[in-house]
Amino acid sequence: MRRTVLAFAGAALVAALPARIVAQQPVARGLVPPAAATTATEPSQVAQGRYLAILGDCEGCHDRPGGAPFAGGLPLPTPFGTIYSVNITPDRETGIGAWTADDFWNAMHRGVRADGAKLYPAFPYPYFTHATRAESDALFAYLRTLPPVSYRPPPNKLPFPLNIRFLVSIWNALYFKADPAPTTGPTRGQHIVQGLGHCGGCHTPKTFLAADKTGHELEGGDIDNWAAPALNADVRTGLGAWSTPEVAEFLKTGRNVHANGSASMADVIVHSTSKMTDADLAAVGDYLRAHPDHAAATAAPPPDPKVMAAGEAIYVDECAACHAVDGKAAPTYFPPLPGAAVTQSRDPTTVIRFILSGTQTVATDARPTPLSMPSFGWKLDDAQVAAVATYVRNSWGNAAPVVSASAVAKLRRKVAAKPVQKPSASI
Amino acid sequence: MPHNPVDRRAVLGLGLLACAAPLTSSAAQLTGAGMVWRANQSAWPTATDLRASYVYFTADEAAFVEAACARIVPADATGPSAVEAGVPLFLDRQLAGDYGKGARWYMQGPFGKNTGTQGYQSQYPPAGLYRVAIKAIGDHLSRDNGAPFHKRPAAEQDAFLKDLSAGKVDLGADADGKAYFTLLLQNVMEGYFSDPIYGGNRDLSAWKMIGFSGARYDQRPYVLAYGKPYPLPPVGIGGRPAWSVKG
Repeated sequence: MRRTVLAFAGAALVAALPARIVAQQPVARGLVPPAAATTATEPSQVAQGRYLAILGDCEGCHDRPGGAPFAGGLPLPTPFGTIYSVNITPDRETGIGAWTADDFWNAMHRGVRADGAKLYPAFPYPYFTHATRAESDALFAYLRTLPPVSYRPPPNKLPFPLNIRFLVSIWNALYFKADPAPTTGPTRGQHIVQGLGHCGGCHTPKTFLAADKTGHELEGGDIDNWAAPALNADVRTGLGAWSTPEVAEFLKTGRNVHANGSASMADVIVHSTSKMTDADLAAVGDYLRAHPDHAAATAAPPPDPKVMAAGEAIYVDECAACHAVDGKAAPTYFPPLPGAAVTQSRDPTTVIRFILSGTQTVATDARPTPLSMPSFGWKLDDAQVAAVATYVRNSWGNAAPVVSASAVAKLRRKVAAKPVQKPSASI
Repeated sequence: MPHNPVDRRAVLGLGLLACAAPLTSSAAQLTGAGMVWRANQSAWPTATDLRASYVYFTADEAAFVEAACARIVPADATGPSAVEAGVPLFLDRQLAGDYGKGARWYMQGPFGKNTGTQGYQSQYPPAGLYRVAIKAIGDHLSRDNGAPFHKRPAAEQDAFLKDLSAGKVDLGADADGKAYFTLLLQNVMEGYFSDPIYGGNRDLSAWKMIGFSGARYDQRPYVLAYGKPYPLPPVGIGGRPAWSVKG
């Protein structure tokens, strides 16, 4: 709610910008580089496009439960309202069947629809602009081979004035730079991460208008009541303690000795990273592990010993069965907590939410068993959740800011429908 | 004897089929696709509200049950009495619920006298048996000299309960005194030692008394610690006092 209000204020503020700045955006159709030399679709181009659709996790947003693949209709909760993903099958009426490869390039590279209207940046064109023209054409060639599906997603639920697509121009002026000469980047890993992979969509902190914070790429994001961990060289909150093969193993199988994939990342692993080539996974791992951490280290006050004692009592009684008294757990089955990035994340949302609601490890072909953690929200009150979260964030060498009971109460209202049930007045 | 391989194969094949059928069905149950996990989902027990008054017992029934509990488990140096541990409240809530109704039991006739090797044989579900038997006990005692059970001295109460347990008290055709005492004794023990979330075993007192560590999932760190005292205090499903910062 606060963010929505802020967004309105921000929209009003930037509306006052001189029209000159807004007009700096390149005219959509003026700067389209030529399409790939071949006009006929090559099988190899379709195969490349199919793989690029995996890299880009297109299905993560363009599939809805029970719907045809790529037909859209998945509601995407944003801080400003709900946006429904569109149908990108080649249906002429409801999909992109009437689009040309140039139209597709304009969408990918400039965030503009075939009819000239602005796309909302829920479609991550600030990332896709890094894709090359050949990649855009291959992706388009692949999408053309899909069976056309006649399906029109529900209209977006955005409040006025955000439902005026033209205002995206203001956002673009502030946050978006279409690159007429797309970079392939110095490394394959950077090209994937900054481009089609759009990792920063979740893992980069956002401005009040939901744009990536410049200079803070991959330092950890806050999205849909989850804290996405940092994907950088930080040893505590990032991937500094992981090797490249370990990053690749996590993305391929959903687990490694450090962590189990779950929550929003589960979809990404299923649709995208588990199907990537080993070479690409290694390239991504190399890039992320070397990505510098710029977040200012904040000196957090040490936790209250009384809170730590309560947290330890809860941990030993409730958590140690799987995570073990020393926190070392059973790596690749139950994730260890010492050194864990999710545990020590500056934003404690994910660790609180795991305790409140439980979580389930993603099932992949390599690791088909969806191990799960039960919900503790029904038996632990807000202060108890805060105590045990503070304990795991500050034990066994871990260090992270304390968790407050009010933060737990706030998240509980959003994600856990059941109120805490006070088990007994006598204990 | 004529050799007939076809018949033998057919028999073997049928046998294999019979074995395979249950295997395929259990294999299907074990695949991940069928296991549904949902956030915030737990099969949590319904906690007893200790502040509320009795919901099943009448005032007369509560007076008898409290007095009987105090004699079956009296307070001593090792632990509190059944009343102090909250057992009457536990009994009240159990009798008000599915247990009291015999909801999961076969409760149709014929009803006969328990041969001693059978399970529960009463025509009444547990809640009904408490009601009928306590009424009959009250009637029985009022025939003697009028003083109800809970107003008698402890020695007289003990003597009466012993007679009841031995089948020496005739409660009439409707209530079997020995059967009722057997049920009451069983229920008092259940309340005294069950998890505090259900109303008895208040402050984990019974578990502290016998050194039971409670609702813990994993004892591996302590199994091989021979000769060392077990370090952990009892914990209930709802926790223990150390879970909260005293303030």
